[in-house]
Amino acid sequence: MSAPVRIAVSGMGAISAIGNDVPSNYQSLRSSRHGISHIQQLDTPHRGKLLVGEVPLSNAELLNRLGIHSAEAYTRSTLLALLAVKEATADIDVADGHRTGLISATTVGGMDATERFYDDYLETKSHRHFIATHPCGYGTEQLARHLGVTDYVTTISTACSSAANAIMLGARMISAGRLDRAIVGGTDCLSRFTINGFNALMIYTDGHCSPFDEHRNGLNLGEAAAYLVLERAELAMGRSKPPLAYLSGYGHANDAFHQTASSDNGEGAYLAMKQALEVAGLDANAVSYINAHGTATPNNDLAEGNALLRIYGSAEAVPQFSSTKAFTGHTLAAAGAIEAVFSILALQYQQIFANLNFTEPIAALGIVPQTTLVSAAVGHVLSNSFGFGGNCSSLLFSHAHE
Amino acid sequence: MPMSKPIYIHGAAGISIQPTTEPGYFFDSILRYTQNAIPAHDPDYKVLIPALQLRRMNKSMRMAIFTAQRALQEAGRTTVNAVITGSGLGCLRDSERFVESLLTDEGQSLNPTPFIQSTHNMAAAAIALALKCNGYNMTYVNNANSFESAVLDSMVYLDEHPDDTLLFGGVDELGERTTQFWDLAGYLKKQAPAIPTPLANSTPGEIAAEGATFFVASGKPTPSAMGKISAVATCHETDDSKALVSRFLRENGLEAGAIDAVLMGYNGDSRYDYIYDDLAQALFMGASIVGFKHLLGEYDTVTAAGVAISLRLLGEQRIPAALQLSGTQPKQIARVLIYTQRRGRNHGLILVER
Amino acid sequence: MSELTEELKAKIIAQLNLEDVSVDDLDAQTPLFGDGLGLDSIDALELIVMLDKSYGIKLSDPKEGRKVFETIQTMADFIEANRT
Repeated sequence: MSAPVRIAVSGMGAISAIGNDVPSNYQSLRSSRHGISHIQQLDTPHRGKLLVGEVPLSNAELLNRLGIHSAEAYTRSTLLALLAVKEATADIDVADGHRTGLISATTVGGMDATERFYDDYLETKSHRHFIATHPCGYGTEQLARHLGVTDYVTTISTACSSAANAIMLGARMISAGRLDRAIVGGTDCLSRFTINGFNALMIYTDGHCSPFDEHRNGLNLGEAAAYLVLERAELAMGRSKPPLAYLSGYGHANDAFHQTASSDNGEGAYLAMKQALEVAGLDANAVSYINAHGTATPNNDLAEGNALLRIYGSAEAVPQFSSTKAFTGHTLAAAGAIEAVFSILALQYQQIFANLNFTEPIAALGIVPQTTLVSAAVGHVLSNSFGFGGNCSSLLFSHAHE
Repeated sequence: MPMSKPIYIHGAAGISIQPTTEPGYFFDSILRYTQNAIPAHDPDYKVLIPALQLRRMNKSMRMAIFTAQRALQEAGRTTVNAVITGSGLGCLRDSERFVESLLTDEGQSLNPTPFIQSTHNMAAAAIALALKCNGYNMTYVNNANSFESAVLDSMVYLDEHPDDTLLFGGVDELGERTTQFWDLAGYLKKQAPAIPTPLANSTPGEIAAEGATFFVASGKPTPSAMGKISAVATCHETDDSKALVSRFLRENGLEAGAIDAVLMGYNGDSRYDYIYDDLAQALFMGASIVGFKHLLGEYDTVTAAGVAISLRLLGEQRIPAALQLSGTQPKQIARVLIYTQRRGRNHGLILVER
Repeated sequence: MSELTEELKAKIIAQLNLEDVSVDDLDAQTPLFGDGLGLDSIDALELIVMLDKSYGIKLSDPKEGRKVFETIQTMADFIEANRT
């Protein structure tokens, strides 16, 4: 794949357990202040036991901030997405005549409403207006309506790589000359469905997750929404503010090993990262920082670590890397987007964010993440998102002056 | 959208509520139904899927792998470079199973299999596993434009990779509780549901069905290619289908009269079928109008079956009586336009040519 | 003991959807994973659920399952030793 068209990032928006907008997210990363805590809002027997990265706003508060009447059917995922996408497009005029697309991603979709009203729908009329919200595409279309996007609207759902794939499709559509601008990203809220699902897979940790640690034993789930505005570089150049960053590379591959587990040698991860580097026309050594997928499951971190070793040849050669999932939790379909935002923050502030809760390197790998916040010359950042179904994606962001 | 390079179709296969897996089947005999919802006709999956894998697969995965393998056989291939799928609701039944288990047993041991299988990209993942395909693997879940999104990505991908071959398709399965929800939401036809669905003097509601249709495509024509997809467009909502379709034709350098057959998504829902009537009157008076949902039912990715039918029309050079809704048999069929919408939204346009 | 192994054979077939396999096809000594029956990590998780629901035994570490689920015989031995 070649990327002859330069893709600029002209806007970004985010909401997660560590902040309700991009600046607050940055403050938390800068202070190494995580957002993992006990479940506050979801009604589940796991409350008091499993820790999550929850956005500390109830649905009522989200509706209030958005000025939406509570009688309207909006799922939590969509409410989070609306806040993030509004922040991302604050300086963008979608109706300026340039072809604008919206490519969103979600895995939960309207499941938070479906699981809540599953029996209720049959018994009373009160919540039946939520029936329509179940499909993944429903929320995307609500977003499109709020934004006024009409040129192209679609939804991707590929588990944990979803938002990275949405970002990638946006770039490819701009490169192909089909769009001038793409609003891309993803959203997933916490749900009993996903909490119980990962728990049933026995990959949900007790306590706090410890990415890339020898004694890691699973993830914490989180909820988030994040969106980028991608534009053809020439279009972005016309603005008063310079681009936030460039999306210079992207890669995607399928592990084709097992439905949920990654191959030990991280084949899909390796191929995705290599492809991102090829598209960017960069040598692996040009990467300053890798924002890893790093879910802290025994399987992912081993596979991802092996893939890194395959690319870099030795533990010493691997650039500084960290997983920020100990801050936000694993936000599933939003992960690729919230971590894209973090990657861009790393470029803007010339800092590498901490991989929290680390004590001992994985014996089989010997790689050590960056465990504290540090200033660094950050020119290019690789962001990884690897999901169920072997779906592996990597994005490469470059400093606006590169 | 600018004119783009077409993609050439080398194999196609579909599972539906009609016997579309029977060799040579082209709607000369029709299965009749008087129920709502209608499950798809299962072929013998074991012929193409080993038992050890099949045992755990939900209907979406079975249908997707079976039709993908059949399409590959038709194309004379065993592998592809990429797999791109569309599904409106993903693996619905396993989603229901897992919700039901957590509503009764949350806090105790829950079976993980339905959770794993409920992930929307499982059909695409299952195909990748079956073919050991490490390439690009994407799943679109955007209501009744899910398949069209897969088509568009296929066109973009093959433009980027002119030497590659890929599988693309659409799959949707019925749920159980979800069908009840649809009934409560007023989507389903309650009055005398039937396949074939009467399109004149119709009543409100859809006939819910399921199916999968997959295609093998490349960016290069071959003498044995079934046809090509030249353009695709979607619009999540509009009041003016005529303007939408006119613009699509214009952008592709065509007049309405250049279309030999128009596949329209009439599904017997009296609340929305008028959209097709209005369009036919405005742009396609006297044209050969072909239907397919009145025989295959309604689901988000049924348009994929419409593409398979369009390719057969090109090959057979005749419109089966059961599919033809109005107009005469065209002198030749070189260009087919597919126009669909669902419940007044997710308008989709696909241009299929020889 | 053999009653338990017969019971386990039937439960495994049902739980793991082994439609084409009958109780007579299963031998108590056949490896369940790898080259024997060819089960995978998802099956292992399902067997852990079965141990809990049918025999009241909770395995908290999936790695523990590897030794327990080597064969039907090892499963039966483990259950006999730990059931509640």
